Amino acid sequence: MQAQSNRWGGELVRFENVGLRYGAAPETLTDISFSIMPQSFQFLTGASGSGKTTILRLILQSLKPTRGMISIFGQDTAQLDKDGLTALRRRMGIVFQDFRLLDHLTIYENVALPFKIRGRMESSYRAEVIELLKWIGLGDLIDAKPPVLSGGEKQRTSIARALVSQPELLLADEPTGNLDPVLAGRLLRLFVELNRSGTAILIATHDIGLMEQIKGARRLVLQNHHLQVEG
Amino acid sequence: MSSTDFHNQRSVWQSFLNRFSTDSLVAPDPLTDRTLVAVIFILTFIAALTAGLVLFGSAATARWQVLLSSEVTVQLRPQPGRAIDADLNRAAEYLKQVQGVTKVRIYSQDETLRMLEPWLGPASSLGGLSIPRMIAVEINPDAPPDIQAVTQQLAKDIPGTVVDDHRSWTKRLTKLGNTLVVASALGLILVLTATALAIVFATRGAMVGNREIVEVFYFMGADDRYIARVFQRHFFSLGLRGGILGACLALIILGALRFMIAGSDGLKDIFGFGAADPLSSVGVAIIIAIVAVALFVSFLASVVSRFTVHSTLSRLV
Repeated sequence: MQAQSNRWGGELVRFENVGLRYGAAPETLTDISFSIMPQSFQFLTGASGSGKTTILRLILQSLKPTRGMISIFGQDTAQLDKDGLTALRRRMGIVFQDFRLLDHLTIYENVALPFKIRGRMESSYRAEVIELLKWIGLGDLIDAKPPVLSGGEKQRTSIARALVSQPELLLADEPTGNLDPVLAGRLLRLFVELNRSGTAILIATHDIGLMEQIKGARRLVLQNHHLQVEG
Repeated sequence: MSSTDFHNQRSVWQSFLNRFSTDSLVAPDPLTDRTLVAVIFILTFIAALTAGLVLFGSAATARWQVLLSSEVTVQLRPQPGRAIDADLNRAAEYLKQVQGVTKVRIYSQDETLRMLEPWLGPASSLGGLSIPRMIAVEINPDAPPDIQAVTQQLAKDIPGTVVDDHRSWTKRLTKLGNTLVVASALGLILVLTATALAIVFATRGAMVGNREIVEVFYFMGADDRYIARVFQRHFFSLGLRGGILGACLALIILGALRFMIAGSDGLKDIFGFGAADPLSSVGVAIIIAIVAVALFVSFLASVVSRFTVHSTLSRLV
């Protein structure tokens, strides 16, 4: 799988002095600055409640910053209209911590959802989806529904759904949180494979053991509402 | 058949079924969905029955009006010193000559007493009481005679003559018919408003229940129009189900009414249908109206849910 080429050659994501507060409370995130380059691999880490998911939501634009500038794929998000936002989201893939699979749909239908949303005819993507499901080891479960799957199978389905449209940037929120170390390691190798094929990866995790498996990966560490970039 | 063949066939069949389920992107909530279908069913039934009864009532009223306007009654009150039978014959002879009169019939003394029996008791108890006599005159409703001229002529020639062209009844019937139509139209509007409100609440409930799914759609690049379409399709399907059930029940009830009237001469007379098939003239119109109500309710469900989704999305996510 090849990720789509980055048209301007710059950062995929850039945060400049971003701050976020809820109401009159103190800032949850203060002066956050970092960037994500094409085809890069990084972990976003920090203690539970430090704001990892919040940063992912800021990238996905389901939250707006209180101050600072966020640029996604070279576009200032403050200037984005709804159609522009939709277009940006179509270039990203997201793996949720709680999977967010649609329980009433089959595994095949769940994974094919991004194509369906984009209005593509089923005949144009069916083979592609089935091939991906086989590649991640779910080829025998295409007609199964999420409630009968194990945690690992659900997680792989969620990853397949995020990947199927070949995003330029993949965001994963605690993707191995509910898995045993062996399965977590296998999923991590899957992310590495994806990265090699051109997708930039940002994994939010507090699992130090997991991060140590990828030598040389950049770490964005959240501590006391601030972010430090290591590596 | 080997187990592999069986498995393959099952997979093909499963895939075939899945093709039909891919449209239902809103997670089904059996309790809420069934309740909404039941509400739409009841409201469609009331709306369809109202529409059917309006058409049926209008047809019956029109028939009554035709019957009333095709007959004139001439009443002769006994006058001292005059032979009422001779006056009746003279009046009848005159009426037969009038242009636009198609039939003249004098009600005999016995027939008149029988007609009065329910109010005045048996003829024997009336003794020698003088009672008015009646001439039934059938006229051509398309080219009616000049009733005013006839009235004046009869009053001049035969004292004690009263001509009743049922005008006051026709006016009252028209008023009644119009009132019925206006009241039913208001009833229909109220029922459809109640349907729309039920769908608004159901859509909001479904959106809150599917909040996470809506968020997933957004993150995968769905826009508001796509999400609105997903809910619209879901509620159109529920509306259509409720609408078809309501329309079917309304058709059954009106069909039963038709057979009840068709099987009873008394009811036929009451509704003014005579020997004709009571619903033949309006039957097709009623069926079309009921089907139209069911389709309109489905359309309403679809449009209302779409607008509700658009107005709720910004607050939800």
